[in-house]
Amino acid sequence: MRRFSGRLRSALIIGIQGIRARKTRTLLSIVSLFLGVLAVVVVQAGAEAANKAALANIELMMGKDGTVQMWVPDEKHALSLTLDTLKGRTDAVGTLGTSATIGEPGVNPVNPGGGPFDQPGEYGPMGGGQFYCDTRGYCKEVPQQQQAEQPPVGAAIELGLTGFTGDIRPFRPYKLTSGKWLDFSGPPSLAPRIVVNKVAAKGFARYQIPAEMRIRGAIANPTPHIIGVVDDGQDRPMAYVRADELTNWVPTTTAGTFGGMEILRTQEATDVEQILKRRLLADGLTNDQFSSMVIQSKKEIEGQLAMFRLIFLGIAGLVLLIGVAGILNVGLATVGERVEEFALRRAVGTPRSLLAGIVLAETLLTGLFTAAAAIGVASLCLKIVSRVLAGRAAFLADMEFPWQAGVAGILAGLIAGLLGGLIPAIRAARIPIATVMRA
Amino acid sequence: MTALIELSGVTKTLKGQQEPRTILSGVDLSVHAGESVAVLGRSGSGKSTLLSLIGLFDRPDGGQYLLNGKDITKLRERRAAALRSAEFGFVFQRFFLLKHLTAAQNVAMALVNGQGWLPRRHRKARVMAALEQVGIAHLAKHRPARLSGGEQQRVAVARALVRQPKVLLADEPTGALDTETGNLVIEVLHATTEMGCGLVLVTHDWDHARRMGRVVRLSDGVLHPEDVEVGV
Repeated sequence: MRRFSGRLRSALIIGIQGIRARKTRTLLSIVSLFLGVLAVVVVQAGAEAANKAALANIELMMGKDGTVQMWVPDEKHALSLTLDTLKGRTDAVGTLGTSATIGEPGVNPVNPGGGPFDQPGEYGPMGGGQFYCDTRGYCKEVPQQQQAEQPPVGAAIELGLTGFTGDIRPFRPYKLTSGKWLDFSGPPSLAPRIVVNKVAAKGFARYQIPAEMRIRGAIANPTPHIIGVVDDGQDRPMAYVRADELTNWVPTTTAGTFGGMEILRTQEATDVEQILKRRLLADGLTNDQFSSMVIQSKKEIEGQLAMFRLIFLGIAGLVLLIGVAGILNVGLATVGERVEEFALRRAVGTPRSLLAGIVLAETLLTGLFTAAAAIGVASLCLKIVSRVLAGRAAFLADMEFPWQAGVAGILAGLIAGLLGGLIPAIRAARIPIATVMRA
Repeated sequence: MTALIELSGVTKTLKGQQEPRTILSGVDLSVHAGESVAVLGRSGSGKSTLLSLIGLFDRPDGGQYLLNGKDITKLRERRAAALRSAEFGFVFQRFFLLKHLTAAQNVAMALVNGQGWLPRRHRKARVMAALEQVGIAHLAKHRPARLSGGEQQRVAVARALVRQPKVLLADEPTGALDTETGNLVIEVLHATTEMGCGLVLVTHDWDHARRMGRVVRLSDGVLHPEDVEVGV
């Protein structure tokens, strides 16, 4: 171990001396290798950015991989039967989706259609009617009465409202940021307790609005009680409520209010699906009206991203190979010039392995210097790009240089140094000592 | 007393593209600690080949080579490198100083060779002592381009002495120097024998040879003692 340490130190000392003695050649090697290493760093950074953009909220929005997702239509008594079947279960949760407006009555909400607050949409004519389109391109027809009256924009916020039959977090891991999550253990309250998402919380903080909630299809307007804020990965305002507190005000018998029900269950909870199917079939529904599937969104997207990453890394690898050829060329020329030096070093007792180590130390250090330069340039470019383009792509706003790209750059530099230095190193180790005697 | 170096019946044949050529055929030579031996001979007589066998640059085809009484005739390269570092010092006709290093760094080259590790301050002390020994400590920070031929060869001698070798092998060390500078270098080399170092000097110069303790002539692949007055 001590002998190894001595040789390593010797190789580093002599390698650094060699680099300092041949600065121009080292610089040329760095230049030839730079594009290849930069390509690897950029591909890795791009892949990480794509991963971040595509995967960050996938579990929150779609559900964890392995969760079974089932759809039940809003027909006959399907919703009430489903709610009854899921009552008290923790291994299967049903979700009922609708929309609600909280605030002043008789006004247009500040975000018609339940869009984000920072990117308001626009009203406009479409196909003979008046429509409101949000920034995502989702358009909603403005009712005739509202068109005629054109109520003013007032102190009200429109949001998506989802009722849960149980704790959804084992399937969609919402992150509580303040307050508390819904409690499903006690009896339902007549004043619905709601948990809002971060986007909605931002709206409530920005606008002073009265606490009256108008739910689509509700028999009366309840007063909500906001108990917490969660990060749900959504970019539009959402509120979550216990399904039984929601159905106190919105009867499931009102057809078309909820449009159907989504059920998320564990793979083990097959009995829920079997019981539910039997009850729905008995109610008059047919087999083709409900379907189920296993969520694999993360895995599928990861697979696609990994394939793209491999393709681009392959291209970057080719560019890197050109750099390796550059280092190899310079390395061979340098060893050719240093025949006497290496023969002399052997004469004074330097082992062959150390001679090879000296050449490799030089090329590896060159690779490392190149990696440092490439990482620095890539990091700087990312900062500039994220500042310039932050307005156009939200995920770029808080984008930091990913450490994986740094590691990839260092590895690329080291591999290039190793490949480019291997043959010169072998040649250096084979130089005969007799060279110094014949000189 | 055991000889530092003892060659008995050493042979060496060079296998070229044509006929194999016998360079050494039955060389006997012993060198004791503190003894100096000059090897004379015509060009191509095998003086340098003999020196490369003694210095473990190459292996003999036949015969026996004892170093301090130990048989090292068929040594592996790794062990030979360790012995070259620990036991031998080499001075060549050309100085082989690395132009990008200072005189001190050139001397330190023999210490930074992967054979044991010396901390920086110990290395520095050894280097300065070696430069002191050859009288050019004040030139430690000079690069070779700023040194005269004699000074450069003295740096090379310091490089050979820095590991405190038991045997110093010098292959025509004055070949590239004028007479006066050559004499100075021979004096420095000869002084090492007073500290118990064995010296083998290959030379063409009679005057330098006669200053050694013993003179031998290599002829037809065999060493013959030379009948001259030595030690003058």
